[in-house]
Amino acid sequence: MLSGAGSAAGKLWRDSPVWVVSAAVLALFLAGSLLSSRIRRKRVAAQVGPDGEKTGTEPDGEKTGKKPDGEKSEKKRRRRHMILGVVLVWMICGLLLGLIPAPKEEFAVSIMAERVALFGLDLSSSVLISWVAIALLAGAAVILRLFVIPRFRAVPRGIQLLLETAVDSASKYTRSEAGNLGDNLGAYIFSVAAFIVTCAALELFGLRAPTSDLVMTGSLALCTFAVSNYYGIRVKGIGGRLRSFIAPPAFIAPFRILADISGPISLASRLFGNMLGGMIVVDLVYMALGSFGVGIPAALGLYFNVFHPLIQGFIFITLTLTFIREATE
Amino acid sequence: MELGLIAIGAALSVMTGVGAGIGMGIATSKAVEAVARQPEASGKINTMLLIGLALTESTAIYGFITALIILFTMGG
Repeated sequence: MLSGAGSAAGKLWRDSPVWVVSAAVLALFLAGSLLSSRIRRKRVAAQVGPDGEKTGTEPDGEKTGKKPDGEKSEKKRRRRHMILGVVLVWMICGLLLGLIPAPKEEFAVSIMAERVALFGLDLSSSVLISWVAIALLAGAAVILRLFVIPRFRAVPRGIQLLLETAVDSASKYTRSEAGNLGDNLGAYIFSVAAFIVTCAALELFGLRAPTSDLVMTGSLALCTFAVSNYYGIRVKGIGGRLRSFIAPPAFIAPFRILADISGPISLASRLFGNMLGGMIVVDLVYMALGSFGVGIPAALGLYFNVFHPLIQGFIFITLTLTFIREATE
Repeated sequence: MELGLIAIGAALSVMTGVGAGIGMGIATSKAVEAVARQPEASGKINTMLLIGLALTESTAIYGFITALIILFTMGG
């Protein structure tokens, strides 16, 4: 047992460059902090000399000028101690986790989500996880409808303010991008954005984001295609929609049809590639850090699973609105 | 097919990142110039820059997807 743990630690020491790198970083950090504190002490000593001569002329200014400086350096020292403590805790966590024998995992990424057998059905896991996302969103909507919306007041506060801002900005953005097509379009746009962001945020809980599956993003893009054609036909009629393809230079009609079809494809592969790329980067970081993957992947996940999907969802709805405007104009 | 050739094909398709990188650099430099000229318009410029960057990035993403599809469908 003991020898096993020892050999594991030895293996860690030999095999893991992370250990060596973090030890080197820690040593550099310690040396740097020692050196800088010595230099500062020297500088302070050098400053005190001329200050002592000056005190006769301006005693008040010296006193008030010096005090915040001392507080600042004290604050700096405390912050440095805190950083040091965090790094130490991180290293200890990594070392302790490294002692637990874990099966060596091969790095593997599959484009397709794995299949799950449920109630005798052969389902893709992204379908199941998207059900989770839909359940979360629908539950939130029901709770808001039952408990929050009846209590709305004339002067919005708190969660009411948040909701009104979100709905208002979604409908305003829809109107400014696609023109006045009714309130339903704003609701659709808002729900698509909420769905994309929720799906990506589920990856924070260890589930594979459904949007990193080409089938899921393809179906979202098909929804976009259907909605843009629906609005195009509603505004211009079937004849007008078909006539818009053969308008003035009729010979580029094939290219117009091609552009209409390639829009959804590029939408689907853009979202899919971004989400899959984020997942692969986080997986690679986990693999590279090994047992030291304690706090760093969380910060990365905040970028790849919260901030990045927000931007991508925004792009998705912007392009959807652009297609709708092109179809209706 | 030989695995080396498949790897070379995948690497070639990731070369789309070169163009995307150059494009993103140009867009960012122009945005910096615009903000320097008109700091009060920085909010609008920021959102437009983000949209432009995400659209430019998608060319790199297409190459990345192509590389993945090459690797996973041919490489096994």
